[in-house]
Amino acid sequence: MTEPRFEYGVSLYSYTGEYGVTMTLDDCVEDVADLGATGLEILGEAHVQDYPNPPAAWIDAWFARLERYGLTPTCYGSWVDTRRFGGRPMTVDEAVWQLETDIRLAATLGFRFVRPKLGVVTSDLEPDPVWEPATERVLDLAAEKGIVICPEIHWPSVIRSKVVDDYLAFIERTGTEHFGLLMDTGVFQTRMHHRRGGVASRLGEGSARPPEVPVVPVSDLEDVLDHVVHVQAKFYEIDDDLRDHYIPWAEFLEIIVRRGWSGYLSSEYEGDYGVGRAADQLRRQHALIRRLVTSA
Amino acid sequence: MIQTRGFRNRAAGDGFEVRLRLPYYRGLWTNLIEGATITVDGERFAPGDIGWSIGGVRYSPAELRASKTARWPVDVPALLSVPRPQPLSIGFHTVAAELRLRMSYIPEELQPTVWSEERRLVITR
Repeated sequence: MTEPRFEYGVSLYSYTGEYGVTMTLDDCVEDVADLGATGLEILGEAHVQDYPNPPAAWIDAWFARLERYGLTPTCYGSWVDTRRFGGRPMTVDEAVWQLETDIRLAATLGFRFVRPKLGVVTSDLEPDPVWEPATERVLDLAAEKGIVICPEIHWPSVIRSKVVDDYLAFIERTGTEHFGLLMDTGVFQTRMHHRRGGVASRLGEGSARPPEVPVVPVSDLEDVLDHVVHVQAKFYEIDDDLRDHYIPWAEFLEIIVRRGWSGYLSSEYEGDYGVGRAADQLRRQHALIRRLVTSA
Repeated sequence: MIQTRGFRNRAAGDGFEVRLRLPYYRGLWTNLIEGATITVDGERFAPGDIGWSIGGVRYSPAELRASKTARWPVDVPALLSVPRPQPLSIGFHTVAAELRLRMSYIPEELQPTVWSEERRLVITR
């Protein structure tokens, strides 16, 4: 394998269940630095105090913390909750307001990427059509703030889909450099993981079940990699022999290293809940990935 | 989700309070809260009768849905105020909560997301 050009990051989503319970924001950020990552990803609505208007003292503490631990802000996760207003769809103005709010806050905190999680209108996760006019209207602001907007390609979406085609057509039509794809490696999972622990929850009142999704070949990544600006390195479980039975890391790394892809692999642990589990599993994943890219 | 702290009779003796921590991983615009059902020792209290307080601000369920600015942060448990003709007796009570949240990024047929938990809690006075 040639020399990898990507960098290592962690999303604070990984500490779900511990953040605010067993770990403070400081603890989480210190853990990210301690395990050897340099990129820090957060979720605006989870980790920013008094979102969307954090106090000045919180912002000062944010930058002091980044400096102390030598971390670079990478991606800021946001939501466009298109079902926010009950029985009616979200208007373009409302979606623009939400996107602008998060782009401004992300830029204030030093981030380069904003991932809007978009509401969907179909069973196969087509985004609410409001995404296109709303995103187009905030491209100038994104340019001014140095932000790239990157909706995620996330299980159960697949790469060869209308969703991805529409995003690529948007880039083509607008010619923008401030829109790209975020690839979540859960797309390539070879089997389902059912998360244990935490508060019990169910989806819906009826008998509807999540879709059966075919395994997506990692080679599909080749077609879209030039538009991928950030990777959420989603994983569920690394075993005691440092193997992952869900995500095919060797194949994935072979492609991004060979192609010289240079963004962040931002780890997203989404396995079982348990005190101390996220910190341990993140270290296992980083060891697994580093071992693969050095031994190849 | 159900907190030990905050479970108590209302001062006026006309009901009780229970605190819920948001079981989801991010804070929400309160419009996305479809409601909470509380059951104590098998006695069920409907979402529409329960008053909410988040960060010291009180909301009716209708106000939660209507507000353009109200939020339920991950680290701020909500205080639910449940009317009942009599206060709860001192001692153990089985408290169940069912919380319905509306997620926009999950297909409609798989919504709302319903969180449920049951705990044995103590009324001290």
